[in-house]
Amino acid sequence: MTGGELPVLEVRDLTVSFGALTAVCGMCFSAERGKITSIIGPNGAGKSTLFNLVSGGIRPSAGTVLFEGADVTGWAPYKLIRAGISRSFQITNLFFELPVYENLRLAAQALESSTKSLLPVRCSARARERVDELIEQFDLGEKVHELAGYLSHGEQRRLEIAVVLACRPRLLLLDEPTQGMSHSDTQEIGKVIRKLSGDLSILLIEHDIDLVMDLSDHVVVMHQGAKLAEGTPPEVKGNPLVQSAYLGLSVHAGN
Amino acid sequence: MDTLNPPLSILQAVRRRDHIAHNAWQVFAFLFIGLALAFTLVAAPSGDTFYFRLATEALIYSGLAMSVDLLLGFTGLLSLGQALFFGLGAYTSALVLKHVGPSFWTAMAVTLLVSTAVGIVGGFIAIRARGVYFALITFGMAQVVSKIVYNTRELGASDGIMGIPVIQANFLLFKVDTAQAPAFFLTVLAMTMGLYFCIAYLLRTPFGRTLGAVRNNECRVPFLGYNPQLYKMLAYVLAADMAAFSGALYPMLRGFVSPELMYFAVSGDAVITVVIGGLGTLIGAIYGSVILTGLKSAIGTYTGHYQIVIGVLFMLSVIAFPKGLMGYLSPLVEKWLAGRRENP
Ligand SMILES: Nc1ncnc2c1ncn2[C@@H]1O[C@H](COP(=O)(O)OP(=O)(O)OP(=O)(O)O)[C@@H](O)[C@H]1O
Ligand SMILES: [Mg+2]
Repeated sequence: MTGGELPVLEVRDLTVSFGALTAVCGMCFSAERGKITSIIGPNGAGKSTLFNLVSGGIRPSAGTVLFEGADVTGWAPYKLIRAGISRSFQITNLFFELPVYENLRLAAQALESSTKSLLPVRCSARARERVDELIEQFDLGEKVHELAGYLSHGEQRRLEIAVVLACRPRLLLLDEPTQGMSHSDTQEIGKVIRKLSGDLSILLIEHDIDLVMDLSDHVVVMHQGAKLAEGTPPEVKGNPLVQSAYLGLSVHAGN
Repeated sequence: MDTLNPPLSILQAVRRRDHIAHNAWQVFAFLFIGLALAFTLVAAPSGDTFYFRLATEALIYSGLAMSVDLLLGFTGLLSLGQALFFGLGAYTSALVLKHVGPSFWTAMAVTLLVSTAVGIVGGFIAIRARGVYFALITFGMAQVVSKIVYNTRELGASDGIMGIPVIQANFLLFKVDTAQAPAFFLTVLAMTMGLYFCIAYLLRTPFGRTLGAVRNNECRVPFLGYNPQLYKMLAYVLAADMAAFSGALYPMLRGFVSPELMYFAVSGDAVITVVIGGLGTLIGAIYGSVILTGLKSAIGTYTGHYQIVIGVLFMLSVIAFPKGLMGYLSPLVEKWLAGRRENP
């Protein structure tokens, strides 16, 4: 860790329960600015729930979320977006009956001042430029008129990331961006994510351990709603606790 | 041909598509105005008032139908009680005209103030619920209010308010007498189409597009930076104002108002109108209203049970034209517009 600098995100003692199940329990970690921090853990460990807590999808029952030093615990998602936190979804969550272009335009609209919200959309020049950039970056040029629901799975996953980037967030939360993707598509997404980091701080949930070890600056391992371990990829890989909790996956990756 | 044209940039292509779809609606809007003016020219010399009043009524109900389309077709909220605001507008306007003064503009202004206030209260109650619960709450609110009106002697109870004076609407350059059927028809036509163009404009702004996002996938909207509850509230209040605005014209046309204006039959007809005309097209609400009002009147001269005939026709039209009249016709016009552009 670089140290000294204020972390972009700091989570303290975050807890939430669904009935009898405590999905996230006293979770603490922080993410460095401009770095890729990965959250890994077995199914049901509470990773997506942690994202929901940080992105405002659900309110924590205890704990604090600090974004760039400011307390944003329990803020509504639309406020957090405006503050600079944007998230993608594990299960593709797009406007399936709207064209690709409109999906991106809606997301980029947040860049415009609200004074333009009653002018025709063609006046939103900043949003338009942003959409054109993203179409280029995510290679969706041939599909702009296609309804999002008609895209292939891989294209939908790319659009999901593009939509999240549209509002130029400072902290990006990616929930299994490569979920269900082919190996080559996964590599492509990996490259995109690496390119994004630096300007952007990224929090990544990912099951592809090789990708995680390859991309991450810092890895946090979750197990049963709590933090099991954290460290650099090699530290985590070598941690016996992680090895036993993670069904030997990291042992495999280490070989 | 394609090879001769320079490749379109993405932006140009998107704009062109948007434009063509939008223009198709505009074609139907202007066509409607043309038809209405032609009707005036043909019917006015005959001195007839029945058909002018019927056509005016169709226009008035089309404002109510547009408000339903704004909610259902563009925001995804099925209101089964939109007649509440239609009736509210009619009663407010009737009371102002009868007791405050026979001023067209005062009646309209007071109506909009009242409907905005009631719309905000109704919105707070209704928009917390989603889907079928929203529909039931709007239904329930309209039932409650219509029953209260029905039992309030000060509002004429079951008889409603009668004897609303004929007024002269002052448009600075000229005056329109509500008793003169063709002139009042043209006034209502201008106001209805004005309302249409305002809402059509609004739907092409970021505000309108955000409503579309709410309709499409409400859960995703907060993660784009918008509060969907706020947008639903704004749509609800706007729809309340639209319905009340049209309702306010009703007593000027008929000279009376009655609690039936708030009944479910009126709310339900508005939904049927929108579905027949084409959900989510806005202009379809106007055509649908003319069709339904015309049918009701035509069938009503033969049988009192016109609801049965309307019901059957509604089912048949939904099966044959699931996207409604405009949903069926507009792709044809879009194709024609696109073709005209490519071969100028
Ligand atoms: N809204 C909810 N209501 C009730 N239980 C929930 C809810 N959301 C999550 N859970 C439960 O909380 C636990 C953690 O779920 P979560 O989705 O956070 O896991 P995860 O680490 O993201 O798993 P995966 O790797 O499968 O995505 C699970 O047992 C899940 O069933
Ligand atoms: Mg998950």
